[in-house]
Amino acid sequence: MRLLVFVLFLLLVAPLAGCLEVLEPVTANEDGECSILEPGRSSDGVLRLLTYDISAFSEEMLDGFTNQTGYEIEMIRTEDSGGILEQLLQTQQAQQADLAVGLDNTYLQTALNFCLLQPHEANVSGLSPTALEPYDGPLAVPFDRGDVCLNYDESRVDGTNRTVPTSLWNLTEPQWAGLTAFPSPVTSSPGRAFMVATVDYFDNDEDNTTDAFDWWRAMANNGATFTSGWTEAYEIHYSGGYGAWVDGHLGDAAMTVSYCHSPGVEAFYSENWTKSTSLTLERSTFHQVEYAGVINGGTETEAANAFISYLLSDEVNRNMPENNLMQSVLINATWPETSGFAHHTDTPTLNAQISNERIADEMEAWISEWSEATQ
Amino acid sequence: MSIEWKTRFAGVPLTHWLAVVFVIGLGLFPVSLALMRLWSVTGITPLGALTTVHEQPGAMEAFRFSLIQASVSSALTVVIGLPLAWAFGRYQWRNIRLKRALLFLPFVTPPVVAAVGFLALISPGGVLYNLGLDLRGETGVFGWISSATGWPHPGHFTALVVAHVWFNLSLMIRFVEPVVAQLDPTWEEQLSLLPAGRTRWGRFKHLWFPVLGPATLVAATYTFFFSFTSFALVKWLTPSSNTLESLLGEMGGTAGIAGYRTEISLAVLAIATFQMLLMFVMLILAGRFERRHSQVLAMHHEAMNRERHGPASRRWAWFVNGTVILLLAPLISVVLASFQVRTVGASGLASEWTLEGWRRAWKGDFSTVPVMEALSNSLSYAFITLVVALPLGYAVASSLVTLRQRGHQRAAGILDSLCMLPLSMSAVMVGLGMVAGILRWFPGMFSFPYLPVVPHVMLVLPFVIRLMVPAIERIDPVYAEQASLLPMGKMAFWWHSRGSFLVVPATMAASLCLAFSMGEFGATFLVVRVGSWDSLSILVDQVASRPKFDPYVFPTAMALATILMVVTLLVLSINERARAWRSRHEI
Repeated sequence: MRLLVFVLFLLLVAPLAGCLEVLEPVTANEDGECSILEPGRSSDGVLRLLTYDISAFSEEMLDGFTNQTGYEIEMIRTEDSGGILEQLLQTQQAQQADLAVGLDNTYLQTALNFCLLQPHEANVSGLSPTALEPYDGPLAVPFDRGDVCLNYDESRVDGTNRTVPTSLWNLTEPQWAGLTAFPSPVTSSPGRAFMVATVDYFDNDEDNTTDAFDWWRAMANNGATFTSGWTEAYEIHYSGGYGAWVDGHLGDAAMTVSYCHSPGVEAFYSENWTKSTSLTLERSTFHQVEYAGVINGGTETEAANAFISYLLSDEVNRNMPENNLMQSVLINATWPETSGFAHHTDTPTLNAQISNERIADEMEAWISEWSEATQ
Repeated sequence: MSIEWKTRFAGVPLTHWLAVVFVIGLGLFPVSLALMRLWSVTGITPLGALTTVHEQPGAMEAFRFSLIQASVSSALTVVIGLPLAWAFGRYQWRNIRLKRALLFLPFVTPPVVAAVGFLALISPGGVLYNLGLDLRGETGVFGWISSATGWPHPGHFTALVVAHVWFNLSLMIRFVEPVVAQLDPTWEEQLSLLPAGRTRWGRFKHLWFPVLGPATLVAATYTFFFSFTSFALVKWLTPSSNTLESLLGEMGGTAGIAGYRTEISLAVLAIATFQMLLMFVMLILAGRFERRHSQVLAMHHEAMNRERHGPASRRWAWFVNGTVILLLAPLISVVLASFQVRTVGASGLASEWTLEGWRRAWKGDFSTVPVMEALSNSLSYAFITLVVALPLGYAVASSLVTLRQRGHQRAAGILDSLCMLPLSMSAVMVGLGMVAGILRWFPGMFSFPYLPVVPHVMLVLPFVIRLMVPAIERIDPVYAEQASLLPMGKMAFWWHSRGSFLVVPATMAASLCLAFSMGEFGATFLVVRVGSWDSLSILVDQVASRPKFDPYVFPTAMALATILMVVTLLVLSINERARAWRSRHEI
């Protein structure tokens, strides 16, 4: 019996010897430079995209790229922008993808600090300066953008039952008790972007005795709902959006976090009708830019660069609003006029002004404080 | 201990020993890798992390919720499932293969589809809502319960428990029905003649409880595990509560990365270790109970038994047929949803009948693989899972039975518990272990198109073993003794002394393998790294998870879910024919 146990133990444990060695991530040197890593796989002429479920990548669009360049495409999907970063970090020693598409500006700097991207060869001269504002270096190219902001249900915030907030502190008042839903910055990209906006908002308000996390604490005490993702907050809890027509909708929240153009998208799909609108208080909105970047350790770098150029081409990028529900990054790009898309889309007067470097440096501390405040 | 090193050790052939080692290794490998990865990243041992579990945000609330809802779900599943399995196994039924496949369908429905089906029933306009049971908005009786007791969400909790019962009833059928169907009817007849068996209670106490107890406990144990580790149903039906698994699911992707969000790695290490220990202890206890109460039973042919008992009484017919119809209700709502699209305008909500969802599902005009490709992937995974898991499971089960019969109870107990390990693991840990392990040793495996088969085999093996062990134990050794007297080859001997008695449980196990693989989502999602390998269940989730500004997203997802359900039903029906074959070919 003892022999049996011993033999089994040896068989099972032997292959695990050496597992305790830490897989140290590759990081930039003191000058902020990264070395180019060895490809994680052998070349097979197939471009592998690491992305979330971007609806702009229709079969037609991907076929167009294959016909133009001869490269086949395979997708590796994660749930969202944060998932792309985490996948890149998990597989840094043997990258399986060639191009990351969908990292946003709240995650980009962390990706750069960990040397996850390598220089691209795309021509960015046709891109809007606003899109290049958060980052205009050689390691990532913006391909779409949008402003994250609060959305509210106009039928419930009608000036009689509830007034339109003129300060985020208004949301901590009894009239808003239990009526707000926020995606968690721990697990959601829009949630993270909005939390960053609140940091800047309260850094620049007149009251120096309180900060963003005092506000989040007050919101939690006022019955705010926190969800793991945007979908749960918008679809289940928010009463002003399409969730109202989806089974399982609760509709307990009159305000949530989405994009300033979400009301426009609602109208676009509902014959120019929506009861949702956005709240664009100065610095309470966040200009989110999504990037494509050639993966450091990727194999098909030539194909990856070709795809970036294709993604930035007029025929693909100009159609971002309809195909990916985000704004194009091209100069003079506008929202479509069809079915009230542009009419119901608001443009913030002043987005949060916070650098990518500060986001990367302080994000862990902010998330800890946020978690503590909303417990 | 007799040692026959040439071909056997402790009475077990060496090939079977290899299978045992392989199965245990397959279960231990990913979780060991995941634990070690988290250990190295946090610098804290799993036991050290375990002592911090109460400090991890939301962990204790999630534990309490997991425990309560899983206990209630298991109890209710037994209360409804036991009589259902008993009646279904005992009497003659029309279209029994179809009914059996329909009863099994919930178990293989992707959780996201099940959740949507239930939401349709409980939302305004749904059947339950129209009956006055507002489980979602919690008005009416559930509102009253909430305000009277201070219980925040009794409606959500009830919806979750009902969904878990719906999901797990098939386990009761799978484990209990074969025992009822094959039990020698003379036992009951003889017992009825004795004083102790004259009353129903007496027959229950002296016959049915000891005979069905182990199988019921096994089914209840699995129900508890599945409910305890429920993820998708919790996410959709109880939006204000988490199980430990859903908490891990939210944090899992961030764990195990050196120098990045180490507090998340610590939380995952603590919660996953806690959940694993808890599940493992329960598995050991359940295994002990099963072993203590399992016994050799004389077996009879199912068809003959059913013929002897005849058709069910009207009461039983109502109960069984009614349950089948009720089980179909959420699925029917999914099918209907695939043909309906919302039209929203200033005048409010309306809906129209449309085939556009089906057209889009067929064409695959989003960034997903076409439906036929996903279907082909699903069928390939399911078939390979079956081919690998069934013989492996048989070899392990046979080894465990041999060890017990030779008096090595303790060794059998330890091996049995180790083989059940995958059940105690979180999908997050399995996924993390797969990624960490594959990355470290075999990066090329990422390009292996049948990678998802690995977790599928891992997850179905405990079921196959659990089905096979009692079935092998029930075989009377006298058959082997008699067969050994006849002039026949090794294979013929095996068939007449063992194989022919295992057709029914093997069919059950095969159904489980096929069905589990077809509907499996969590582990596949974690290991599928290339979109062109997406299975149909992954495709359903991908489309269903999209923002639904575009009203055709939802009907498209439901059309895909319908295809998955129909194909699974077909596969199970074909497999069930083996059972009919067994009944026609008497030994």
